[in-house]
Amino acid sequence: MNRREVLRSAALVALATPFAGNRWTMALAQDGARIFTLAYPTGFPDLDPATSFSNDGAVLANVYESLTRYIPGTDGAPATVNPLLAESWETSADGLTWTFRLRAGVKFHDGSDLTAEAVKGSIERTITIAGGAAFIWYAVTGIAAPDPQTVVFTLSSPQPLDVIAASGFAAWIISPAALDKDNAWFNAGNGAGTGPFTLDRYEPGQRVILNRFAGYWGGAPEGGFDTVAFEIVEDAVLDQSMIEGGQADWTYGLPYENLEALQANPDLSVLVNPSFETLFGMYNTKRAPLDRPKVRQALSLAFPYDDVIMAGTSGMGSRAMGVIPNGIWGHDPAAPVPNTDLDAARALLAEEGLADSGLELVMTYATSDQLESTAGELWKANLAQLGITLTLQPMAWEAQWQLAKADPATAQDIFVMYWWPTYVTPYDYLLNLFHSEESPVYNLGYYANPAFDALIDEAATLSGTDRARAEAMFIEAQRMVIADAAAVFMLDKPNIHIIRSDIKGYKDNAAYGHVVFVNDLNR
Amino acid sequence: MDLARYILRRALLSAFVVMGVTFLVFVVAQVVPSDPAALYAGPRPNAEQIEKARVTLNLDAPLPERFARFAVSMATGDFGVSYKSRRLISQDLRVYLPATLELAVSSTLLALLIGIPAGVATAARQGSWGDRLGSLGSILAVAMPTFFFAMLLQMIFASWLGILPLSGRLSREISISDPLPFITGFNLIDAMLAGRPQVFVDALWHLILPALTLAAYPAGIAMRLTRSAMIDILSRRHITAARALGLPERRILYGHALRNAVGPALTMIGLSFAFALTGSVLVEIIFAWPGLGRYVSDSILSKDFPVIAAATLVVTVCYVLMNLVIDLTQAVVDPRVALK
Repeated sequence: MNRREVLRSAALVALATPFAGNRWTMALAQDGARIFTLAYPTGFPDLDPATSFSNDGAVLANVYESLTRYIPGTDGAPATVNPLLAESWETSADGLTWTFRLRAGVKFHDGSDLTAEAVKGSIERTITIAGGAAFIWYAVTGIAAPDPQTVVFTLSSPQPLDVIAASGFAAWIISPAALDKDNAWFNAGNGAGTGPFTLDRYEPGQRVILNRFAGYWGGAPEGGFDTVAFEIVEDAVLDQSMIEGGQADWTYGLPYENLEALQANPDLSVLVNPSFETLFGMYNTKRAPLDRPKVRQALSLAFPYDDVIMAGTSGMGSRAMGVIPNGIWGHDPAAPVPNTDLDAARALLAEEGLADSGLELVMTYATSDQLESTAGELWKANLAQLGITLTLQPMAWEAQWQLAKADPATAQDIFVMYWWPTYVTPYDYLLNLFHSEESPVYNLGYYANPAFDALIDEAATLSGTDRARAEAMFIEAQRMVIADAAAVFMLDKPNIHIIRSDIKGYKDNAAYGHVVFVNDLNR
Repeated sequence: MDLARYILRRALLSAFVVMGVTFLVFVVAQVVPSDPAALYAGPRPNAEQIEKARVTLNLDAPLPERFARFAVSMATGDFGVSYKSRRLISQDLRVYLPATLELAVSSTLLALLIGIPAGVATAARQGSWGDRLGSLGSILAVAMPTFFFAMLLQMIFASWLGILPLSGRLSREISISDPLPFITGFNLIDAMLAGRPQVFVDALWHLILPALTLAAYPAGIAMRLTRSAMIDILSRRHITAARALGLPERRILYGHALRNAVGPALTMIGLSFAFALTGSVLVEIIFAWPGLGRYVSDSILSKDFPVIAAATLVVTVCYVLMNLVIDLTQAVVDPRVALK
């Protein structure tokens, strides 16, 4: 160390002294008792309630409200649709007319009253813009407001509108004053909801700040929070040190292998819940040899289901019973999904004349998705024992999707992706992933089965009026897909959230992925 | 006169570079397989939404027409909207560019202030312990991966000593409860304009670790370059003559030798400044610094072409300007440069 370096260090220490004593790591721990901070690992691309269709829902769900809210089924208790801005609702016998009675005394953040006109205007705005998840309203042909507290929807086909109205996307009700505002206005950090918090500030790439709305109809819990800070922190290491250091109260997206250490930390709770996100690989049913169901069945028999759950999610994921995850109506706990059985797989391949055939297959998946990559690696090892070479092809989602949409003849053999529902219905999974499509959008295994199509379309029209019958039909359709081995159903992803132990009232709701309803919480 | 012609020549060349890059960006966007309409239509669009987006974006227009539109909008600074977020790109750049510039400028200054004097000092005491230590330091600075250096600094100064903040641009007390008004986007400048000295200090403190991380590599190289050039110059006859005249050593080193030796180091630091504009992704992620690097890398992964184009152009302009400044500085410091 030369003289200058000594001086420099001395100066640094002298300047730092007033800040010492962990000033930087304490942050808001003491004076911030009324601030709830989320270390959020992704940004919020679109805060327009009409078009938001991503993690922005985490912000919007605290600022805006929908007519209803979906509460997933837990073991024993069935899923329910609860009142929110609507107090009650009824449907006509044919399922084509839905009447919602609005809650009285609800105010928007700008002071105006919640009226039937506001509901009509909000949903019409969403339908007109037609971006994001606006398609959830596709069956709505008219919205009427016969009196200020009543909204009547007319549909072209029977749909479960109570569930649709609970969607975490495209179902938010906004103030009449904001109806003519454009996307840019909302993304500049302006809000116009009825929710417990007002949108105070949006700094893209950095944070969103919400403040308590004093006029909220639902009031605030004892010890509730005044401010909600979404800190956008993309680095998982930093997310972890923020939650460990008490600078954040909630986070997710930390590597599975770190969770054990976090579970041992008395300051933190690691909450593991089922999610509605399921991981699967769609087989290219348009190209030999995967156009033969038995070959596909053999591949599914070779998939190491339990190993992937262990290695990929530290045992926290769960077996996928077909495509509809647990907690959604239409889930089939007794689905005849295959178990790992290499001998059976070998026998099936031999039957198809493909014993040790040197078959080469390409599986595409999203770059940097650790779970998908683990699943691929373990499957590859099993397939190698059957003389099949699986090439793992990580790609940026855009490129992966583009390749799959272009031409089945030159596309991948296996397309790996996650799916989660826009609103909670089995139809969303089955329609998007397996209903035949002229030019593929999400049916990227190009599965085409007219009997299946007819079955789910009919079930969809029944789901507004006769949900039990619809559910049975969806389960039957799902078993068709399983029997045909249209896809390998890898696992249902766990929803893992880490919160500070002193936070009370936290309940995970898989219908709203990675959303925290902060008004339920207190410290 | 020579200097004026030199400046003109350099400026013209710079303009050509910018035009060339604009053209290349457009060509590359056509070659890369992607579907802008699908991207624009939202995170999980259906077929109708994609078709609608194709019409909105005018993607079916002939190529020359689209290039003409593109060139005109770029030239007028209208970068359009991001396919992915549909936010105005100019609005995003106003946030991200100052954050990155603040970091790049301060790390470049740090690199200059550390690298060049260290190079001079070690050259002057060639073979001494100080020289060897300096060489070791510079090798470490260059060889150590940025992300590792960043985490090392965070561990020592933030986690263990607690004297410097872990991440971010400002303390969260300030950004949540009492935010700095957005004037220029440069926190240091905004804090001064707003007359809030404690926020200025806070911003400066947050800048230290990321700037040091980014400065390590250019400082190390600048030191090596300066050292070897100085050793060469110090053996020249005009230096011997100056020493014989009894000039103070300090003046010989900084007044006479460094002027001739500093060229390569300056060029290198200029290049590293340009690199820091988009190449600092890792540093930005590790320090949760909302900068251009992250913005661009996200847009590349999602093939968000308008953002890539706008950022490429902005960075090219910054780079070209920086190069111009360095060339002119060199021409002033060492007049031989302008004559070549």
